[in-house]
Amino acid sequence: MFSLENVSKSFGQTQVLKPTTVEFPVGKSTVLIGPSGCGKSTILRILVGLLQPDSGIVRFDGETMSGQTLLPMRRKMGYVIQEGGLFPHLTAFENITLMANHLGWDRPTCQARVEELSDLTRLPASALNRYPAQMSGGQRQRVGIMRALMLDPPVLLFDEPMGALDPMVRFELQEDLLKIIRTLSKTSIMVTHDMGEAGFFGDQVLMLAEGEIIQHGTLEDLIHHPANDYVTRFIRAQRIPQV
Amino acid sequence: MKSRLSITQWLAALLLAMAPFLFGREVSASDQSSPSDGPILRIGSKAFTESVVLGELLSHLGRHAGARVVHVAELGGTQILWNALLAGEIDAYIDYTGTIREEILAKSQSQGANLETEEAMRSALAKQKVLMSGRIGFNNTYALGMREDHAIRLDIRSISDLKRHPDLLFGLSDEFMERRDGWHQLANTYALRPKRVRAMDHNLAYRGLVHDSIQVTDLYTTDAEIRFFNLRVLEDDLGFFPKYQAVLLMRSDLVERAPDAAKALLKVQGLVDPAEMSAMNARVRLDGKSETYVAGEFLNNKLAMGLALPSMSQAAEWRRTGERLARTTLEHVFLVAVSLALAILIAVPMGVVSARNERVARVVLGVVSIIQTLPSMALLVFMIPLFGLGAVPAIAALFFYSLLPIVRNTYGGLRQIPSSTRESAEVLGLGPWARLRLVELPLALPSILSGIKTAAVINVGTATIGALIGAGGYGAPILTGIRLSSIPLILQGAVPAAAMAILAQGAFSRLEKKWVSPRLQASGA
Repeated sequence: MFSLENVSKSFGQTQVLKPTTVEFPVGKSTVLIGPSGCGKSTILRILVGLLQPDSGIVRFDGETMSGQTLLPMRRKMGYVIQEGGLFPHLTAFENITLMANHLGWDRPTCQARVEELSDLTRLPASALNRYPAQMSGGQRQRVGIMRALMLDPPVLLFDEPMGALDPMVRFELQEDLLKIIRTLSKTSIMVTHDMGEAGFFGDQVLMLAEGEIIQHGTLEDLIHHPANDYVTRFIRAQRIPQV
Repeated sequence: MKSRLSITQWLAALLLAMAPFLFGREVSASDQSSPSDGPILRIGSKAFTESVVLGELLSHLGRHAGARVVHVAELGGTQILWNALLAGEIDAYIDYTGTIREEILAKSQSQGANLETEEAMRSALAKQKVLMSGRIGFNNTYALGMREDHAIRLDIRSISDLKRHPDLLFGLSDEFMERRDGWHQLANTYALRPKRVRAMDHNLAYRGLVHDSIQVTDLYTTDAEIRFFNLRVLEDDLGFFPKYQAVLLMRSDLVERAPDAAKALLKVQGLVDPAEMSAMNARVRLDGKSETYVAGEFLNNKLAMGLALPSMSQAAEWRRTGERLARTTLEHVFLVAVSLALAILIAVPMGVVSARNERVARVVLGVVSIIQTLPSMALLVFMIPLFGLGAVPAIAALFFYSLLPIVRNTYGGLRQIPSSTRESAEVLGLGPWARLRLVELPLALPSILSGIKTAAVINVGTATIGALIGAGGYGAPILTGIRLSSIPLILQGAVPAAAMAILAQGAFSRLEKKWVSPRLQASGA
């Protein structure tokens, strides 16, 4: 679905992404993990076209990404960030249907699609008429996911979507999100620094450090066959409560 | 959407209704109807009583000769009138030889031209296609004056006679104390050594004379108070004071365009002597007659012109007050609405472009800030060669003053949108225009609206200066009120202007409630 070929990116003197080649397979979920500043968010931002790579090619659905192809490509992607990135001046319903409205969907179609999505994400119907500031963090995140799913895009991209949630809400939402991805069999790409989350979502895990991919495999590969010492230390650093 | 439409319609209707004002304002206070097919004659006057009376006098003469007269009254100074005359915005007005030499021909004088004689000034003006008439018959300059009864008792006729009475107390206006051709030179020339000289306000000096707390003061030779307080103007026997002979200035092309009217205007030569001018000023300032009435009365007495004079009854006065309030309100709303609408159309896009490009922002914000610091009088004078007199140059000036608050708030409102929100809109697949329309402008709207509100309130106040260049509005009664020391007249401009500012503030607050998403109002950007 998505692939990077020799893509690199620098900010000033610092190379935040060394020339990287990677494939994101259709229908699978890939998790990008690593410490802050390792380049995982840079990859995601290049994939959605918020950053232009200095070199290399980004391919999406068989086409090369460029200024001209970007707009139609984006309508085939759903992008979810921390707190949902909702527009504060619009209600949940207006946030979700903004793009569909802009593309000329009629009201009943929108309404039906939103109902379908609120069942899927388990958002209470009463929340649909609230503004982002009137919702809980978990509800905002669910609305963000509904907005990303509205046009039924084949690809979903998540930039630390659970980052701002408290543990209980996060736990519930993780389960719901995985169910959604599986049910709809979407291609998904998620950035996180949480090893547990990576294992929970990822069919494949890309471990990054200092601007390059240091290991590419399943979580089990990472645990049992670490590419180097750093991978082991990163995995160990995730504290598990001693009961 | 519905409310937006109705406001557009309302504005369009207003524009249509006000269209005539765009093309010059008929300020003439006269009620006479002009012939409908004669040539158009535009008369100007400055913002003091004598000038307005003379402007009305010229208007009567022109109208009598069959011209359609527009009197653009109470313009804000010699430079504005002179530029308007050169630009053809007015055809004629009355000025004084001293002013012509010192202010209008200052440049040729500093280049060494000898302008001592009126003939020399006449030929210097002719080069600029302006005719200067012969003298009207009075010289309005500084003089010294005292109570007639004192002067008779002490046998004082001329300034030289004052030397014999060093005990007299002099009360002189602050300006006269300071001027180059003022007190110190005068005292030197006449070798006056009075024991006591006191600087004081000109109006208080008249009171002081009446109560004998001072005996001598400076005055203008045609002041209305000369008659009222029964003062004697002392003869300037050494010829110290420069001459301020009143003369008519007229565009020379008027002679071809409207020969009858031009000939009629020249009747003012030798028409008014000092006592008559002083009496006319007194009729307006002290008897409360209108300038039209006084000028018409004078012409009827002197030239038997048989002009119909406007009624001076109390009822007619009330009617005129009502009409004036209605007219100045329309004019004021027009000035503010049009300039504000234009400013919104230009400034919001400027703010949007600035928010996208920091380098453009620096230039744009710098330029509009500099415009804001230009003195309004200077800006108005610059506008006359471009736009003439009346509403257009005033609207242009107000437009420039409205730019800064709107540009700055548009820029600021857009810049304060968090980057995550902007990026969310981008990744959603909205194009740049759709992002601006659906996300960025609505989020910046509270800030933009408050910028527009600021501009509107400032505009309502600033629009009063429009009266200086004949644009009318609430500034007109304020200007006339200052000239006539009439508090009621000043209030007729100042009170509605303040009320309109409050209304504008309220109206925009309501728009804010209506248009801004309820979730953004609390934060009140």
